[in-house]
Amino acid sequence: MKKSLRFGSAIAIAAVASLTLASCGFGGGDGDDSASGETTLDLLVPSYSDATQGLWEDVIDGFEDANPDITVNLEVQSWDNLESVIATKIQGGEAPDIYNGGPFAGFVADELLYPVEDVVSPDTFSDFQDSFLANAEVDGTAYALPLIASARALFVNNALLQQAGVEAPTNWDELLDAATKVSALGGGVAGYGMPLGSEEAQAEAAVWLWGGGGTFGDAETITVDDPSNLPGAEQVKKMIDAGATQADPGSTQRSPLMDIFIQGKIGMQVGLPPTVGQIAEGNPDLDYSIVPIPTKDGSPFTLGVMDQLMAFQNDGDKQEAITKFFDYYYSADVYVPWVQSEGFLPVTKSGAEALSGEEALAPFLEVLPGAQFYPSTNPQWSATDAAFKALFGQIQTKPAQDVLTEIQAQSDAG
Amino acid sequence: MSTTSDASSTRAGAAESRPRPGGSPAEPGRPKKRGGRDLLHSLPWIGPALILIFGVVLYPAIVMFYNSTRDISISGIDKGSVGFDNYVEVFSFPYFWPIFGRTIVWVVVVVAVTVLISLGLAQILNKAFPGRRIVRLAVIIPWAASVVMTTMVVYYGLEPYFGIINKFLVDIGLVDTPEGYGWTRNPATAFAWSIVVAIFVSLPFTTYTILAGLQTVPGEVLEAAKMDGAGPVRTYWAVVLPQLRSALAVAVLINIINVFNSLPILKVMTGSIPGYDADTIMTMIFKYIQNQHKVDVASALSVVAFVIVIVIVAIYVRVVKPMKEV
Repeated sequence: MKKSLRFGSAIAIAAVASLTLASCGFGGGDGDDSASGETTLDLLVPSYSDATQGLWEDVIDGFEDANPDITVNLEVQSWDNLESVIATKIQGGEAPDIYNGGPFAGFVADELLYPVEDVVSPDTFSDFQDSFLANAEVDGTAYALPLIASARALFVNNALLQQAGVEAPTNWDELLDAATKVSALGGGVAGYGMPLGSEEAQAEAAVWLWGGGGTFGDAETITVDDPSNLPGAEQVKKMIDAGATQADPGSTQRSPLMDIFIQGKIGMQVGLPPTVGQIAEGNPDLDYSIVPIPTKDGSPFTLGVMDQLMAFQNDGDKQEAITKFFDYYYSADVYVPWVQSEGFLPVTKSGAEALSGEEALAPFLEVLPGAQFYPSTNPQWSATDAAFKALFGQIQTKPAQDVLTEIQAQSDAG
Repeated sequence: MSTTSDASSTRAGAAESRPRPGGSPAEPGRPKKRGGRDLLHSLPWIGPALILIFGVVLYPAIVMFYNSTRDISISGIDKGSVGFDNYVEVFSFPYFWPIFGRTIVWVVVVVAVTVLISLGLAQILNKAFPGRRIVRLAVIIPWAASVVMTTMVVYYGLEPYFGIINKFLVDIGLVDTPEGYGWTRNPATAFAWSIVVAIFVSLPFTTYTILAGLQTVPGEVLEAAKMDGAGPVRTYWAVVLPQLRSALAVAVLINIINVFNSLPILKVMTGSIPGYDADTIMTMIFKYIQNQHKVDVASALSVVAFVIVIVIVAIYVRVVKPMKEV
């Protein structure tokens, strides 16, 4: 009996030990092997296209050749997952050193990011277009580096508009008229492609609300439930009620709808620079043109979107390596081919010069100076963005004012 | 002859050896000590399972409950305790009760229809007919295929413009818009189609559990019923169904838990719908995490969901008494 007791306690100790040891495994996490003089940088990026991974791998190969003591680990995630991946990593104490994403004010509020002047050389810093850099500032300090920019414009199917006997619109009245006439052609053709589904509802919302003179607010306050946004929201309803859009715009996602446009079944839809490439690949015969987005009074407007690179303060000893990486990446020889392959607009002065002759980008580069951006430096923007994605599509069935109120409420609660 | 003697010798040996280590058998207080000793002895065997249960079930559940009382920022930093504020947020959310009701509809309809269809399917598969093996294999297929994949197939089939289900409905004249109807774009139809998919993927497990139960019904009993003049309907209700009780109990209980916790079908089918008119508690938890980055509130709702499952199961066990012997 004594023997079995001893045996039993041995088992118990083993069990406890294995539990404690196992729990040790949770917190630790492998540090970088700085002991051997080598630094490892973790890079987390979203996938812009099928080519994204290869483009980053080329950048990293070139960088590692120039800096043999630095290793870069690349992780590519889809846009759908990106924000939950980064949140999980931060929560687990394993934030990447460099992260490519959208909203970042929340990270600044949690004091997780390096001010960018600490992680790029003055030469690189002064090469950024000032308007983009200003959009990455929180309280006057830039915490993120502009990576790429995009502007939007209206893609028009010339053949369909001709059939319906209308011209490319410049203001809302013309747009409603043209879209209704194109929809009336029948055969499953829709006049205006309006994607208000969760994928990018905030963009289509901005196109309409801002085009009617509205705003989402600034770095201090979010103002979605604002009288200036109402004309745009009402116009969205008007378009839907008139049957000028495809069916069920409230739950239509942007990318699949763009495919329908490329197939030639939609008269007009707001698109991005990469759309040009998608059409060239998917349906090169499509007869289309790119015109500025129609607004309430016809004044020029575009929605600019800028994605950023940011550096997380993990151990503090990687600042130098991060600086080397950014300086290498933003040199024109590396950066320009990268931006060009992805089909976006450059954010550096040297990049803009190098690409000024690109014909496909011309309509976008033209409208870019007047671009308006999301208030992404407002810590509440993340919540507002999520609220638009989850709720704005309800405008199909609910009164415009109610939808704006609900978005404002969820944004304030976030 | 030799087998009987073997058996008797083992029995004798067993009877003989039992009292040996204990010495005097009828000592008071002894059984209690024995219990503790038995537990220690059994530790090597149940130990790994206990570690697994603690590490994989209890520890995450405790962390989940702990998180539900914290204030966690959108980038995942713990900002301290907030007591039960997250629960207040869950219950004061204006769409909570509709979502709760929809969850109940979802569980009840899917499980009830699945069990009804499975009862019929199992009955067919229990009969001998040529090609039965192939049919039995065919029933397993929805089980073998990934749920997300099955759902995606239906989802794309239902897409306007290019989905084949929509195309078919347009061709036979049931849908009069040439690009088809947005089945997955409207809350009611998307939810209804999700139920169809959920039933489809739940059928194999349920059918096979009931089939296993059917095969335990002895042939003699059925023969006796026939001899006594019971028709097929009477035989089924009075003889077969009561004997399926334990198989049905397993099938229903596991289905309730599974269906309640099912996320992928609804996530795929209703993911693009704005607002909260097609959500169940599971998709709401997901929306808290994915869209709003509120890990704390999502944890609170998870705890609520956990309680709801336990209550549903308790009501089921209480009312139906599935474990009661026939």
